[in-house]
Amino acid sequence: MSQNRWLATGNFFTSYREEQRIFLTNLDRLVFICFLVVLFVWPFFLEVGNKYMLVIDTILISIVAIYGLNLLTGFAGLISIGHAAFVGVGAYTVASFARVLGDSHVLITHAWPLMILLAGGVGAVVGAIVGLPAMRLKHLYLVIATLSFQMIFQWTINFMSFFNQGQTISIGRVFWFTGKIVRKQHYFFWYYVILVIVVILGLAVRNLLRTRYGRCLVAVRDNDRAADAMGMHPGLTKVYAFALSGFFAGIAGALHAYLFRGAGFESFTLHQSISYLAMAIVGGLGTLVGSFFGPAAIIMLDLQVENLAEFVKIVFSAALDLATALRPLTFGLVIVLFLIFEPRGIANWWRIVRSYFKLWPFRY
Amino acid sequence: MSYFFQLVASGIVVGSIYALSALGFVLIYKSSRVLNIAHGQIIAAGAFITYALTVWVGIPIYISFLMSMIITFFLAMSVERVFLRRLIGEPIISVIMVTIGLMSILDGVIYMTPFGAENFSFPEFLPKTPISVGGVSISWTQLVGVIITLILIAGFTWFFKRSTLGISMRAVSDDQMASMSIGISIPKVFGLAWATAGFSAAAAGGIIGNITGLNFDTLRAFGIIVFPVVILGGLDSVFGAVVAGIIMGLIQQFAAGYLDGNWGLSGTADLLPYIILLIILLFKPHGLFGIHEIERV
Repeated sequence: MSQNRWLATGNFFTSYREEQRIFLTNLDRLVFICFLVVLFVWPFFLEVGNKYMLVIDTILISIVAIYGLNLLTGFAGLISIGHAAFVGVGAYTVASFARVLGDSHVLITHAWPLMILLAGGVGAVVGAIVGLPAMRLKHLYLVIATLSFQMIFQWTINFMSFFNQGQTISIGRVFWFTGKIVRKQHYFFWYYVILVIVVILGLAVRNLLRTRYGRCLVAVRDNDRAADAMGMHPGLTKVYAFALSGFFAGIAGALHAYLFRGAGFESFTLHQSISYLAMAIVGGLGTLVGSFFGPAAIIMLDLQVENLAEFVKIVFSAALDLATALRPLTFGLVIVLFLIFEPRGIANWWRIVRSYFKLWPFRY
Repeated sequence: MSYFFQLVASGIVVGSIYALSALGFVLIYKSSRVLNIAHGQIIAAGAFITYALTVWVGIPIYISFLMSMIITFFLAMSVERVFLRRLIGEPIISVIMVTIGLMSILDGVIYMTPFGAENFSFPEFLPKTPISVGGVSISWTQLVGVIITLILIAGFTWFFKRSTLGISMRAVSDDQMASMSIGISIPKVFGLAWATAGFSAAAAGGIIGNITGLNFDTLRAFGIIVFPVVILGGLDSVFGAVVAGIIMGLIQQFAAGYLDGNWGLSGTADLLPYIILLIILLFKPHGLFGIHEIERV
């Protein structure tokens, strides 16, 4: 049967290979490429201040981190409340090089892609170590393992003089082929670097999920006994999920350290872990598009909360510091409300909108 | 040697408070298999309510201590009713995530009160001079705290072993389907489990508040230290929670007494419980007294 390569009216798959395609129609591919081009080109036409560029960069970094958390929580069904600590491992990998070699050593300023990869590797190793109890236990207990890792991480950073007792460890400015990246170009430069990484890793995750190594995560989540019977090792699969998530978190951490030109304790606390979890839940657990919506939604919400707190401060002119109170309150409410009313997250709304336009002008 | 006994004494004091904090956690886990991440916030709420009733309203401290336990009883019950009742039948993973959300919400609510930013301390109502026996000194607040803790633990143990409600809670934790078929209302038992957990958390909060002063971070930390305690004792064992609480208190005091200051270490008391936790998860996941029914993968 010859089918329309641009508009599919239904599923006409005759092989599993076809079903596993990344883009179902050419239209999907076209839209995706146009979207990418827009993402790469818009900064040349629109002038944005450093402040907003920083927000955009932060969203992109969170997307990288959420790839990892989503693989772990969404696809492998393991809750992690230590994700900020894994991100911190990446950041402090770079920072400890800066600490030993000096913050403008050639390794840090010139070989930064290598450093970012290395941070990912260290994150993966640490993730696998934290995930080791998964060899023997089911998921409930692993929450506690990740929580205790968060605590151990916080202690290590706060009490070891090597890590400057939680004070910021600075990292020098990096070099590109055109020379040193100066202050004016900093956020602009990192926007492109992080965007490229987001795109590459996004495609990697999408690809991973259609190979046996990705699908075994889902199989173990859904029914570990059945997965065992199919020849997968549930324990090893979970350890592997932790390592994967640690890898993404490590890369996000290294990017964070480079973007903020330093690693400090306050970006990797338990609260940050919870907001990462909020991002994953709001975006939609177990979907790749959720990894994009979640960070964007939560960081925008965070900005609005800050604005609201400022506004309240001006209106009531009291020494009322609502920001510290409102932030956990909104994050908590968002987590709880999404879990109760829309467990599939924003990704579900996206699915509904998409299918509406796909089928238009028909209802179904 | 008296230094050693001093550490033992304060370890037992801290440990019995850990035991009381862990009790509420185990209660919820036992009946509904939910890990309540928000337990520390409930402990803090209990302490703050006690303080508010004592100092701002002016009720005698023993009565306000009881009243705060009752208020937190209903508070926890309503938390269960509003947030968790809807999730019965949902996968347990989303229920745990809801408690993470709850923790964040309660944090926010407490930050809005004066307790979030400032430190308070209870008015002195006991003699200030510590009791010392053979070089070991214990303050009156600590002594009274330990006595109240022991009474409460004994009460809870009786409640589980003998009372009808306690037995029905144990039945639900054992087999939900079977207990439904003999007429036990599962939602009611879950609500009751949360309520009793709130009750014991408020008691723990009041005692901690009296000993260490009211600092939100300190109180909240008790909800997290509960994890190593319950893992050591076995997640579903009330007796294990008590024993492990005291062991954990001793370990922390010894770490603070002997490790800190030597070999450039400091703050090890905050680190050791979590390392112990990870080791126990690796090698003896059901803890000391847990039931060996943990499903292996």
